[in-house]
Amino acid sequence: MEALLDFWYAYSATLAFGLVNSLFALSMYSVLSAGILSFTTVVFAAVGGFAAAQMMGTFGLPLWLAVVIAGLLGGLASAIIAALFLKLETHWMALASLALILISRVVVLNTPSLTGGVMGMVVPVRASVLELAVLLAIVSLVFFRLHKSWYGLAIRAVREDAAAASTMGVSARQIQMIAFLISGVVGGLAGAAMATTLQYISADTFYLGVAFTMIASTVLGGSFFWFGPIVGAFVFTALPTITQAVLPEIQDIAKGVVLLVIMIYLPRGLIDPRARGLRKAARQRQQSALNGSDAVEARPGSSTAGHAHD
Amino acid sequence: MTSSDTPVLHELRNVVKRFGGVTAVNDLSMTVNRGTVHGLIGPNGAGKTTVINLITGLFDVSSGSILFQGQRTDTLEPHRIAALGISRTYQNVRLFSGMSVLEQVLTGCYLGRGTSLFASFLGTPDARRKWKASRETAMHLLERVGMADRAGELAETLSYGEQRRIEIARALGSDPKMLLLDEPTAGMNHAEASEIGKLVHELRDSGLTILMVEHNISLVTEFCETCTVINFGQLLAEGTPRTCIDNPDVQTAYFGKKRDALGL
Ligand SMILES: Nc1ncnc2c1ncn2[C@@H]1O[C@H](COP(=O)(O)OP(=O)(O)O)[C@@H](O)[C@H]1O
Ligand SMILES: [Mg+2]
Repeated sequence: MEALLDFWYAYSATLAFGLVNSLFALSMYSVLSAGILSFTTVVFAAVGGFAAAQMMGTFGLPLWLAVVIAGLLGGLASAIIAALFLKLETHWMALASLALILISRVVVLNTPSLTGGVMGMVVPVRASVLELAVLLAIVSLVFFRLHKSWYGLAIRAVREDAAAASTMGVSARQIQMIAFLISGVVGGLAGAAMATTLQYISADTFYLGVAFTMIASTVLGGSFFWFGPIVGAFVFTALPTITQAVLPEIQDIAKGVVLLVIMIYLPRGLIDPRARGLRKAARQRQQSALNGSDAVEARPGSSTAGHAHD
Repeated sequence: MTSSDTPVLHELRNVVKRFGGVTAVNDLSMTVNRGTVHGLIGPNGAGKTTVINLITGLFDVSSGSILFQGQRTDTLEPHRIAALGISRTYQNVRLFSGMSVLEQVLTGCYLGRGTSLFASFLGTPDARRKWKASRETAMHLLERVGMADRAGELAETLSYGEQRRIEIARALGSDPKMLLLDEPTAGMNHAEASEIGKLVHELRDSGLTILMVEHNISLVTEFCETCTVINFGQLLAEGTPRTCIDNPDVQTAYFGKKRDALGL
């Protein structure tokens, strides 16, 4: 019985972190799917995390209200940051976003009245796994709808070829601005979810470790469809638990190895809608090549086989 | 504006484009009249694609001005120029990786979607109706270029000629006033090229103005009413295809001395 409880405890904690990491990964995916590599999600999450902690701790607001406020503040932060960042070339943006993480850590450490400074903050409310799952479901629904909308089409065009998209009337800047705003709101929610899961947050909670988890989850799951980052986040979160059970000494190595293997053999991640189209085309080619050679056998000298390969 | 009174739809005035030390377009002036097919020809590296990129705003002019319907466009961003009604294809087909044939053309319909991004996200009844209408437009355009039966396939898996036709359908998605075709028949055999020529004429007859870069001189004489010949970014000749080809400057620059070899 004791062992069973222990197992559920470990299992539900992994599940909770899988849900939280999914939110982080989706926030990063939002900008990545517009062709922008940016780690600013960590900053949005810090804003949302500390805001939620204050709302619940100092003002005694209920969990859901605190989460909503965290999302809004994350969105506000992203509006300001996007206005500055969208002037930069994309690789500089990645670098600038890392610099921003370093800066925000210093800010967190030096504003103890807001963040608890070096002491950090205890969060009095704990979100249940169910509550986290509901939050992720709502966010997933948003990404599902976005994918099916004109925005979904436009953002794919911008990512693949922003110049060509612009000659079709798609303003890359407008699409990327929206992408940043969504990233900000979801990042704020992720921060709040993290705060109510850990129940203790400090400057180190929203630092480079989260940035690594986020990019790893997105690369692993795939950044070409919204479901990819969720799959990646769960796999990446569960991985240490699994390796811990099997071979505790190598869990950090295992993380790195899995990431490398994926990047080499599945560079577009586990979930890749394009791969299906490619497979279908390959099947058709094979089929028509077969039919073609049949035709050649039936009618010697016919050129159908040659056309089949075109 | 008196734009609709004049026959001129599009105009380049003393346009210069420099890339560092290279002057790709040098003091070029050119007009395209409404409802015509105008050819832009010249040897490789003459600056034809650069002209198309300047017109669509992908490049900024170094000096000079560009006017569409009497309005200056050389200071506008590409998506604004597209919204005025200028659409294009690319010399090296630039379809979007990962999109199906239908999705490519739907993306081309973005400007005419008739609904806001937000309404489309919410899936309001009006937005859904408009989405369906856009899908029908896209399917209709695919029929027009003979690609409707491939609508669901991944565009990048199709042949070069097929991809070119998809690109034309995509460019027509915004229902443009002027269509720029950059070597639309490159890599096609004569029968395929004639198909494109027929389509170009149909489009012109339905009121579209077309500026096309074309390498094949016999196709230019077949397709175009007027043309501009450039070399080293400079104007060499303009007028009907015949007068251009007969121009001695054009013959030395474009054909070398081997006019007979081309069978003209
Ligand atoms: N983006 C660019 N950067 C530098 N030089 C360019 C660029 N685009 C074109 N050029 C130069 O401009 C000249 C004209 O090129 P282009 O317009 O592509 O010729 P065409 O389409 O007539 O073959 C060439 O010398 C080419 O090298
Ligand atoms: Mg060219």
